[in-house]
Amino acid sequence: MSIMSYNGAAIIAMVGKDCVAIAADRRFGVQAQTVSMDFQKIFQMGDRLFLGLPGLATDVQTVSNRMKFRLNLYELREARQVKPKTFLSMVSNLLYERRFGPYFVEPVVAGLDPKTFEPFIASCDLIGCPMIPEDFVVSGTCSEQMYGMCESLWEPNLEPDDLFETISQALLNAADRDAVSGWGAVVHVIEKDKVTTRTLKGRMD
Amino acid sequence: MGKKTLWKPESDFFLQQILQNISVEGGNMAQPGVQMQGPEPYGAHGPRQQYFSPYSWNGGTVLAIAGEDYAVLACDARLSEYFSILSRDSPKRYKLTDMTVLGCCGFHGDVLTLTKMLDARLKNYKHEHNKTMSCKSIAAMLSTVLYYRRFFPYYTYNILAGLDEEGKGCVYSFDPIGSYEREVYRAGGSASALLQPLLDNQIGMKNMQGVQRLPVPKEKAVALVKDVFISAAERDIYTGDQIIINVITKDGIQEESFPLRRD
Amino acid sequence: MHLQYSYSLATFSPEGRLFQIEYAIEAIKLGSTAIGIQTSEGIVLAVEKRITSPLMVSTSVEKIVEVDSHIGCAVSGLVADSRTMIDKARVEAQNYWFTYNEQMSVESVCQAVANLAIQFGEEDPDPGAMSRPFGVALLVAGIDEKGPQLFHMDPSGTYVQYDAKAIGSGSEGAQSSLQEVYHKSMTLKEALKSALTILKQVMEEKLNSTNVEVATITREKRFHMFSKEEVEEVIKDL
Repeated sequence: MSIMSYNGAAIIAMVGKDCVAIAADRRFGVQAQTVSMDFQKIFQMGDRLFLGLPGLATDVQTVSNRMKFRLNLYELREARQVKPKTFLSMVSNLLYERRFGPYFVEPVVAGLDPKTFEPFIASCDLIGCPMIPEDFVVSGTCSEQMYGMCESLWEPNLEPDDLFETISQALLNAADRDAVSGWGAVVHVIEKDKVTTRTLKGRMD
Repeated sequence: MGKKTLWKPESDFFLQQILQNISVEGGNMAQPGVQMQGPEPYGAHGPRQQYFSPYSWNGGTVLAIAGEDYAVLACDARLSEYFSILSRDSPKRYKLTDMTVLGCCGFHGDVLTLTKMLDARLKNYKHEHNKTMSCKSIAAMLSTVLYYRRFFPYYTYNILAGLDEEGKGCVYSFDPIGSYEREVYRAGGSASALLQPLLDNQIGMKNMQGVQRLPVPKEKAVALVKDVFISAAERDIYTGDQIIINVITKDGIQEESFPLRRD
Repeated sequence: MHLQYSYSLATFSPEGRLFQIEYAIEAIKLGSTAIGIQTSEGIVLAVEKRITSPLMVSTSVEKIVEVDSHIGCAVSGLVADSRTMIDKARVEAQNYWFTYNEQMSVESVCQAVANLAIQFGEEDPDPGAMSRPFGVALLVAGIDEKGPQLFHMDPSGTYVQYDAKAIGSGSEGAQSSLQEVYHKSMTLKEALKSALTILKQVMEEKLNSTNVEVATITREKRFHMFSKEEVEEVIKDL
């Protein structure tokens, strides 16, 4: 079995009208055995910037910490907030440094531009190849299921509440068809003047 | 006549040449004594493992939904191998009886053999027992047919749709070695992972709160089938070109097709 | 002259007859009497058991058997031969259920047994076939999607559906009695009583609960073999 699916995860980010949402499941398991149901896979990296890290749990925590480290340095040196696109480059850069011994994570970045508040979502492969689509990104062990859900449910210019419903349904139903992800979810909806975080209870099996 | 002499191997010039050319690893015996020029002939380095794969994957997706008094079975018509499209008009539905349709995809060679054999079995059954096989019985038979190849399986994903003895819609889904189950909806084949959670949500009403479970009308089922196949064709390279939708009711089987993206 | 054409049992005589089959059909007329009556509620099977010695354990004589839960069979003639046929019927019924997940129809069971019955004398027969025809007649009774049905099969493998049929030594008398009493709207209870009344008439011994066997096949109870007490209950009212 691939090391990418050793712990299991499902993460989606979606663009709405002047907002973005990012959602992740909360399971931490070792292959088929579930160990905990409140594992953090999405990390807040700025006022309107989130990083989702599906993959090997140890690398999830290492990469999140190392990204926070580099981000702090950036903000100290530059004395301004990082743009999501710049942050994506930093993630990509960090991952490519380990080109031949990679961190087993496929990150998702979601946020609003600190100045223009333009929505931004992106994902990376485990060695840092970035992808910036206009609708949604998915990453994790049930990516096929998530693609199927998102491709049908997503539509342009969703209002924050509708975006929340869409991303939640997409994540929960996709994770229910995956043995190694699920056990509840957390959803962040990022708007210009607020970030709404909700935890969802899915089917717990 | 002169004196008789005994034949000895040492005296045979050609034999000596041949023996010289046979090395332990094997050598060229075709032209004794002639040194080969250019690249070494095939097999010059002795035994080599040859690989043969009896299977291929030709993609395709099938989907079925059972309603109160109907069943819908839809499939795409693309036949692929690796990154090639072999056909844009190869539907994966096989009409077995007047009220049973089989969706069958996977390795096309096995699909053809299996469906041909099922047709033969159904004809035989009709002759032996003077009746058309019910959907339930076809499902049971298909399970045994698949299981008899437990250790060299038909590489096929099967979904059977029809009407049961009470006239209600029924869908049976199978794995390639015969495990089967009656269900309300099921997606199978290459885009099954994309479609199944969506069916859970839209037909199974999974993760929905405060909704009442109403029977899905036929028109809604057909519309949903089109929607989900459009989505599947966006992301799955083995699904596309067109879908063929079969609606099975007590009045017979109605067929319609619907175009999908062709790239 | 006889040798000129008797190469095999399945060879026609110059007159166009298959003697061995005819002899076998004669043989079944020596068997104990068995009666079957079909009604809309179900089928009754009743057979005579010849208890030749007071020391014989009557329950060890078994002439009505269960083929599947919805099919029963009464036999008359060489009971030993019937074992192979019953075994065939049972295996076919189970095979059918295994493959098609539904119960085999009564006619299909008859067809399967008939296939075995006509294989006598073949060079490469299926297991169970013999060099001579079977010396038994069968009454196959069961309920399937067509409703309650009764079939009679003779040693040639010919099977015919009947409303009511008697086989064995007393069959001639019993059959004409059946013709008199049978009507389409007969209840199962009436059929049960008629079967035993007729059996009583044609039996040499005095009918009692040890020298008859009775079974019914109904939608509710499927194949049901009557206990000694149940038989006594019926005999009481005769």
